[in-house]
Amino acid sequence: MVDKLKLRSDIPDNDKIKVRLFANLRELVGEREITITVPGSVTVSYLNNEILNKYPQLKSFSNKFVTSVNCKVTTGDTVITSSDEIALLPPVSGG
Amino acid sequence: MKLLFCRQSAGDEFLIRITTNHLSLQEVMRELEDDSAGALSIFMGNVRNRGRFGNVSEIYYEAYSEMAEEKMREIENEAQTKWAIKKLVAIHRIGNLKVGETSIIIGVSSEHRHEAFEACKYIINNVKTRVPIWKKEITDESQKWTDGILLE
Repeated sequence: MVDKLKLRSDIPDNDKIKVRLFANLRELVGEREITITVPGSVTVSYLNNEILNKYPQLKSFSNKFVTSVNCKVTTGDTVITSSDEIALLPPVSGG
Repeated sequence: MKLLFCRQSAGDEFLIRITTNHLSLQEVMRELEDDSAGALSIFMGNVRNRGRFGNVSEIYYEAYSEMAEEKMREIENEAQTKWAIKKLVAIHRIGNLKVGETSIIIGVSSEHRHEAFEACKYIINNVKTRVPIWKKEITDESQKWTDGILLE
């Protein structure tokens, strides 16, 4: 247990990825922004899996959102770091 | 009151595209004034009282504002490439809007009507499918997010 805590404190800040949530996803989670801790640079697919594990209430919506990186919609194999601005975007209905 | 402009610290003015303020048709018209423009086309989207889930009392609009502004600029640039446009304004209101209130105004001025009509239609059609804005219909019985289009 002590070792596990020590290991956790060794994880640097820059491995924490902030993810913005909108509309129904924001309401389901109850937060505008969540933080996911990852082992260095990861892909969007990896991040999305981590999000769904941490917030299982989003699982039934997994095919009802896309992920944007720095305001661009991306594919799952895009590599991201903590300096990128990430957001989960449900289907849009403006106008 | 100047709603359409946002003044930067450097003194530069630029058009804002997402706002929580009431939209003013008069201000949009003033923005589109151009002596070389013989045509002016306006599209206004208003909150209607019948929605997908019943009688609507209001609609809540939410935006990913930074990305929405960027996507709207991109769509406006495409329109300006396709047609000879003199002036162009596209502005979307977010927050809680009551029935009858205006959620979006697209305005285009051009030398002749064809360009203004076509550009106006192109911009509203693309704003509806490419810009990260969401709406929740609020009726007496429920509050539901409207189904929409997954961004590509």
